[in-house]
Amino acid sequence: MVRFEEVSLHYDAGPEILSRVSFALDPGSFHFVAGPSGAGKSSLLRLLFLGQQPSGGRFSLFGRNVAGLSRGERALVRRRIGVVFQDFRLLDHLTVVENVALPLRVTGQKGQKIHEHVTELLSWVGLADQLNAFPPTLSGGQQQRVAIARAVIARPSLLLADEPTGNVDDRLAVRLLYLFEELNKLGTTVLIATHNESLVARFSHPVLRLKDGSITLERAPYVTSSTAAGNAA
Amino acid sequence: MDRDASGPFLPWIVAVMVYLATLAVAAALLVNQVTERWQKDLADGLTVQVPPPAAEDSAAAYGERIDQLVRLLSDWPGVVRAQRLGPDEIAGLLEPWLGETGATQDLPLPGLIAVELAPGAAPDVAALTATLHAVAPGVLVDDHQRWLGDLLALGQSVKVGALVVVLLIIFSAATAVVFLTRTGLAIHQRVIGLLHVIGAHDTYIAQQFQLHALRLGLVGGLVGLGFAAATILSVGAWLRASRNEVLPDLALSLGSWAILLLLPPATALVAMLTARLTVLRSLARMP
Repeated sequence: MVRFEEVSLHYDAGPEILSRVSFALDPGSFHFVAGPSGAGKSSLLRLLFLGQQPSGGRFSLFGRNVAGLSRGERALVRRRIGVVFQDFRLLDHLTVVENVALPLRVTGQKGQKIHEHVTELLSWVGLADQLNAFPPTLSGGQQQRVAIARAVIARPSLLLADEPTGNVDDRLAVRLLYLFEELNKLGTTVLIATHNESLVARFSHPVLRLKDGSITLERAPYVTSSTAAGNAA
Repeated sequence: MDRDASGPFLPWIVAVMVYLATLAVAAALLVNQVTERWQKDLADGLTVQVPPPAAEDSAAAYGERIDQLVRLLSDWPGVVRAQRLGPDEIAGLLEPWLGETGATQDLPLPGLIAVELAPGAAPDVAALTATLHAVAPGVLVDDHQRWLGDLLALGQSVKVGALVVVLLIIFSAATAVVFLTRTGLAIHQRVIGLLHVIGAHDTYIAQQFQLHALRLGLVGGLVGLGFAAATILSVGAWLRASRNEVLPDLALSLGSWAILLLLPPATALVAMLTARLTVLRSLARMP
């Protein structure tokens, strides 16, 4: 599904954010990416949704070397990835339904079927009564759920979430994590970046821990594996 | 996209551009129409100018000399008809310059003979002039070529000038669209970034901008054409009302109007393609 081989990342002449990082995620796996603020969690996710080119190393997605993908192929790969952004990135001038339907619209799908599909998903995340609301009128938790619905509407193979519980209370955070687990059970590979250690501790999923540009794998009950190059699956 | 700050400017910029381009193209088309008409009217004819009668000439002798010239001309190869212009016709030709004052009665005017040539006939003007000189020394044979040549050169210059103006306008319009599209890109950076991340192809994103530019360009183009048409019709009506006889009739033909009607869609198309290329170039910088 995902394979990093000695991948490095730095912005311009800045310090290395990631230093020769290696890991792999198997299909259907569920991982946390943990680490303090500024450790490079968001940068790692940005690499994964092809929002950033690595400075060095090689990584592959869905069995294909990313460096060899054309622009058109990169767009097709992105369609297989759902992303939940820390700041939601909802479009304020579109309704909840229109926001969630965006990933389907860019693939050329149209009509009533999209509406039914989106409505069903929004009911599942508890937003059936907010279909035609605009994002600025929603609470943080509701916006978060819209962002999640948008990320999963196209049934992505890989779901990336950047601090998805950062703007909600603990009770809702746990509920959202259960939601991700449900998606994972349906076959979606899930990778969640968070600095909420107590939340990580509540779920028995392996953790990719970022520190000083390196990555280590911890498995429940969170014993650090031998090297940064360990297979995370 | 309809709500971005650059939106309202594009139709007005395009309207001004299309207004100016329409006037330039209309001027070129009018000049073309007029020169074609004059060329058609004058190419198959000659004008023979007989010097005014000398003091010792009697009117009868002068008249007989002109009649002799008319006969000579009528028998000349390639001539269909030769006709002496009467005093009223000569006065009519001078009226646009001298007015209806009747001053022509007191002026020593040359006699004029209008010669109609067979289509395509090219008589030897030098030989003809020499023959006519034997009857009436000082006679002038004008085949209009010099005047027609000057007129065609003028018409050509106007057409080239109009083409340059239209090209400059297209360049200016395209530059304006580039800047407005870049402004739109900056305003919609968040939307574009999101569409990019969720897997939209570059052409899908560009399509949103190019359709917006096409719509605004078309609206602006039609407004510009409307104002230009009003200007052209007003100037034509004013010229007709002022009974100006020096300038020819400046009414555009249906064909010319059809060409002018193409300007708004052509400009909108330029705006659309410019927007598309601008967006695609910007997107190419994204990973």
